[in-house]
Amino acid sequence: MMSDSIVNGSAPNASKDFGKKKRANRSAKLKQCKLDARREQWLSQVKNNKGCEDEVNGNGVAVVGGELNGSTRKKAPIFKDLELKSPSLEENEIHHDSDSESSSHANSPTSSTSGGNDSGTNYSGISSSSSSISSSFGFSCGGSYSGSITEEEEEEGGGGGCADDGCLDDWEIMADALAAATTPNDKERHNPAPDLAPNTETGSGLGLTTEPSSPGSVGSHSERSKPEGAGILGKGAAKNRAWRPDDASRPQTLPNLSKQHSFPARHSCHVVNPWVRNNVPTSCPICCEDLDLTDSSFLPCSCGFRLCLFCHKRILEEDGRCPGCRKPYAADPVEKEASVSGGSLTVRLARSCSMFSRV
Amino acid sequence: MVDFSRVQKELQECNKDVKLSGISVKPKADSLSHLIGTIPGPVDSPYEGGTFLIDIVLPDGYPFEPPKMKFLTKVWHPNISSQSGAICLDILKDQWSPALTLKTALVSIQALLSAPEPDDPQDAVVAQQYLRDHQTFLGTARYWTEAFAKMSSHGIEEKVQRLVEMGFPEALARSTLEGVGGDENLALEKLCSS
Repeated sequence: MMSDSIVNGSAPNASKDFGKKKRANRSAKLKQCKLDARREQWLSQVKNNKGCEDEVNGNGVAVVGGELNGSTRKKAPIFKDLELKSPSLEENEIHHDSDSESSSHANSPTSSTSGGNDSGTNYSGISSSSSSISSSFGFSCGGSYSGSITEEEEEEGGGGGCADDGCLDDWEIMADALAAATTPNDKERHNPAPDLAPNTETGSGLGLTTEPSSPGSVGSHSERSKPEGAGILGKGAAKNRAWRPDDASRPQTLPNLSKQHSFPARHSCHVVNPWVRNNVPTSCPICCEDLDLTDSSFLPCSCGFRLCLFCHKRILEEDGRCPGCRKPYAADPVEKEASVSGGSLTVRLARSCSMFSRV
Repeated sequence: MVDFSRVQKELQECNKDVKLSGISVKPKADSLSHLIGTIPGPVDSPYEGGTFLIDIVLPDGYPFEPPKMKFLTKVWHPNISSQSGAICLDILKDQWSPALTLKTALVSIQALLSAPEPDDPQDAVVAQQYLRDHQTFLGTARYWTEAFAKMSSHGIEEKVQRLVEMGFPEALARSTLEGVGGDENLALEKLCSS
């Protein structure tokens, strides 16, 4: 148990560089981008929450989660996962930062149910889900957030909705009870789950901005918080009390409400719009396959007709004319890597959006 | 190998607004590489009111190669062979683009019906008639539409057969039917009065 928590705390440190590298490829960029999109809305809350308690709080949760987790199930695999797949752990750590933030927003059994199940399907989500178990106050969205986020970062189509098999024994009980209460919301619960992801990411992204040396500092945070686990837990509970009245009165509805007023609107304005604005098709008009990131930033002809690299290559082998304007392709195609601030943000958001729809 | 996922998608897209465009594409058999397209004759043309079936064969290279299309329904048109139904249309040959679809190709054929290109004919006889005796061309094209492209008059051969059974010579029956636009009763009246 204790060792679990130690691993939980120290693993990110040990394999920080390794993790950093991998993260740089995927999630860090993604988060960095999404961060801009969401920063303003979260900023005030983050200012209030993030500074001291919540971040620590989140890490505390993670630690305790590790303990419970180890005791309930799959101790050894978790060890392995934690050590071998440090990138994911790091994600976890970061998510816990955001978990704490988000848990203070949508602090409810409903989301925690889905969350727990979500993360149960996913190695990196495990610790976070158990964190939800362990922390009586924030058994909230922590699990669901980090669960769905990890899945998103792993680019799994199955996403947040694939969850309800109740991997954690403890959770099955909880989930059953809650599911009974929230069955009507089932759909809602499933759909918002992926929507929650950007939210969390923003949270973690904010963590990244405010602390420029993101992974390291996060790791150190978790270390710092590790010994204080229990105390922090209490502290966190106290802190979360700000949201408790809602919880006590109507636990199920709270996350729905927060989802309703926060996510769909942002979803539409940040994800859909840039997409439309930049006119990047989601699928290749020739072969109808989805365009990946490389394809989306590939602009072979000045007429603006986009297609996937495979089809482009095939056309070059044959008549070599742009399908859009019938002009011969230039020998040196214009490969436009969109500017980091504008274009890639768009592209990435568009991708995540398509993932949402798949989920 | 034909890109069947794309063909599938095209069929779905195309058949979504059949009511609006009147253009539909359906597989001829189980294979998605052999299809039947349907286009309505464009209004304000001698083909108005007709429904034209087009045989579509997708080559292995589709969509990088153009689909092979020809009329199954007999059409009297300078750019369509009155014998084989072969279509002379640039986008079905060198001007094909993979960005085009079966539906856009069928729309183009529909446009070709409205706007013949007698200077680049597929059927020289029809093109000559189009240029020299436009009224006759219009009459013939209208008759062919009536005779072959109308669901109601798809049984023109049966009408001829019935008139023949009544004792009229087949050639006369056919030409009379042709003259009255395929109306069996009118043709009968005309035959009896003559």
